[in-house]
Amino acid sequence: MPVADEQFAGLRKGLLEFAILTFVSGRTSAYVGDILEALAPTPFATQEGTLYPLLSKLRREEFVDYQWVESGQGPPRKYYQLTDKGSGRLGELGAYWRHLTSTVESLGR
Amino acid sequence: MERVVTINLNGNSYQLEEPAYDALRSYMTRAEAALGANPDKAEIVRDLEQAIADKCSAHLSPGKSVVSASEMTRILEEMGPVEGEAQAGAEQAQGGAAPQHEPWRPARRLYRIYDNGAWTGVSAGMAAYAGIDVAWVRVFWIVSGLFTGGFTCLVYLVMIFAVPVASTSEELAAAHGAPFNAQEVIDRARREAGRFAETSSAQWRNEERRWRRSWRRSERNWDAGWAAGAAQAAAAPAHPVGYVERMFAGLFAFVFSIITAALLIAFLIAFFSILSNGSVLGWTPPADVPTWLVLVVIAIAYAAISSPFSALQRTSYATLSGRRTGGATDGLATLAIVIIVGAFAWTYSEEARAFIEQGYVVIRDFVTYWSSQG
Repeated sequence: MPVADEQFAGLRKGLLEFAILTFVSGRTSAYVGDILEALAPTPFATQEGTLYPLLSKLRREEFVDYQWVESGQGPPRKYYQLTDKGSGRLGELGAYWRHLTSTVESLGR
Repeated sequence: MERVVTINLNGNSYQLEEPAYDALRSYMTRAEAALGANPDKAEIVRDLEQAIADKCSAHLSPGKSVVSASEMTRILEEMGPVEGEAQAGAEQAQGGAAPQHEPWRPARRLYRIYDNGAWTGVSAGMAAYAGIDVAWVRVFWIVSGLFTGGFTCLVYLVMIFAVPVASTSEELAAAHGAPFNAQEVIDRARREAGRFAETSSAQWRNEERRWRRSWRRSERNWDAGWAAGAAQAAAAPAHPVGYVERMFAGLFAFVFSIITAALLIAFLIAFFSILSNGSVLGWTPPADVPTWLVLVVIAIAYAAISSPFSALQRTSYATLSGRRTGGATDGLATLAIVIIVGAFAWTYSEEARAFIEQGYVVIRDFVTYWSSQG
């Protein structure tokens, strides 16, 4: 459904932060490769060019933090995890999302 | 025929076909433009370079060393356009409120940087720190070395040990740092002082407890190492260590290397003195004690005295490298110091030269004796 894809790009973009915070909250730590791979089959499929700036923004807002972890091959990798502030933000996003969907549904009734 | 361009991505070199290089360069230029005044720009650019480097590696193999133009096109398509934060800024401006969080900046720190032709990275790191060209720093070292009769060479040597290498993009960003200004320094000092007053007492207690715990642990390790004679007892923490820890580890590595080297030299002198003259520094062992027993006692005394220092030396190197075992660096450092000291002694001291020659004669005689027996 490439047409729908095109039309709802703005919607997905607004929700990408929500999706990433949710993914990171589900595990103790995640690196960029994990995030890209997990999102690839979903409507939130994204690329490094988008992800790195977004993660650095989330880090600046103190929603996520990262640690350097040695990898078997190549240089150390950044592993991200949710901060307390981040899980608070995720809670707010979830509540607001439910509010939005229930509002849209009630409008149709 | 296609021209090949060699580039440096985050410290590793890659060969690209010229069109591939052009594509990459224009991608990075666009990325930097898109990131604009993003305070994390340097770090994001390093992350992107690393991601591209990883993708390039995936296309290369022992039989294939050049990334082609079509492969680079595919890599850059996978990367996707770099998105700036223009909208984010616009939202904030609309809200009219000042940003709640102060813009994050890496603290500027002195690191060693292995970049274009750096040997130890000390000069490159100082240049990045001071924001000047690396050539000036190199000239400074050479000129000051000449004027101070080699004293600054010693400073340089200590810096090789004490200044950590910048290996992550974050550290590289910190090495270049954001330019300081007076207001920023004052603000930071005030902030730190406030935070210190709030948390200091609790933190100090925690810190102290942690120190005592780790000291006890290292003591136990030490005992274990003593008992088992095991090298890995002096294992370093595998977790990444901070700047200050690395600096101290570097200094300790330097000091303990010198101590272990001095002990080794003392041991060699004692050993060969006994073998050739039957005495050490004017002391002659009792006549009824056989020479081989004196040698064994010297060897055991050397092992006992040097083992704690070797353990500390190994721990320092392991902490420095961040790996559980420091590899062979510690032993090589000790050997290098012994060889350098030996070379100096050979050149400048008549006695030392005679002594080394004597040692050679002793070894030669021993080898002759050994082969005549066998």
